[in-house]
Amino acid sequence: MGCCYSSESENTEQDPERKRLIPNPNPVSKPPNGTDWITTSVPSARTDEQALLTSILHKTAQNIIDVSAADSVMMEQHEYMDKARQYSTKLAMSNSLSQKKALTLPSLTSQPHQVLASDLVPYSDVQQVSKIAAYAYSAISQIKVDAKEELVVQFAIP
Amino acid sequence: MLPSGVLCKSTTAALTAGLDRIPDQLGYLVISEDGVLASAGELENDEHTAGVMMEMVRTASRFRLQGSADPPFKRMSVILEDFVYTVTVSGQKVFVVKRQNNQQEPISI
Repeated sequence: MGCCYSSESENTEQDPERKRLIPNPNPVSKPPNGTDWITTSVPSARTDEQALLTSILHKTAQNIIDVSAADSVMMEQHEYMDKARQYSTKLAMSNSLSQKKALTLPSLTSQPHQVLASDLVPYSDVQQVSKIAAYAYSAISQIKVDAKEELVVQFAIP
Repeated sequence: MLPSGVLCKSTTAALTAGLDRIPDQLGYLVISEDGVLASAGELENDEHTAGVMMEMVRTASRFRLQGSADPPFKRMSVILEDFVYTVTVSGQKVFVVKRQNNQQEPISI
């Protein structure tokens, strides 16, 4: 559903295609575990920092879907069906468009006979391209993973 | 009104006119989405080569240089030791001409 794709700026929220199916259930009122965020009074010098933190918090909250809280704003069955139909129509449309585009041949020239009759590619050019391709192949074949340390480590859990 | 057979023949003649005058040509193919429209010389009725060339030019035409909407080439050359396939697309038709490769030096990789 569209709700997972929520990293755009606010104006996309107005777009009916990008509107969340599940409205944001917890607009940064409280953290999920019930404790209050650090709201102790801070000197005015640190207000900027606080504002910055709040904005980060807002952004993070935007990207989180609290499934447990979503129950209260259940969508009607027919609304789901409508959305599903709408999305599949859009998908089918863009798929057929791109398929059609892939099938049609581009026109490379309006004078095919002249293009085909012109001189062949010089030998030196072909040799240069072959050489570059061979260098590239050699370079790619030498890429290897150099394992230095464990990627996954066990934390000592008491 | 002309019989359809005659009409078809004259259309094909217009497509291939000049292809047989290309220097060192050994044969040619004119291919559309539906199949081979015309063929001659060493490529006469060569459906296999037609299929391979069609696929190659399709693949090549998908490449785009940054900021460009059109394929960045006019002609594709498939270079072999003794001969070269030169391929281009015009008006939804693929033209393939097999030409002798007179460049003597061998290509060493």
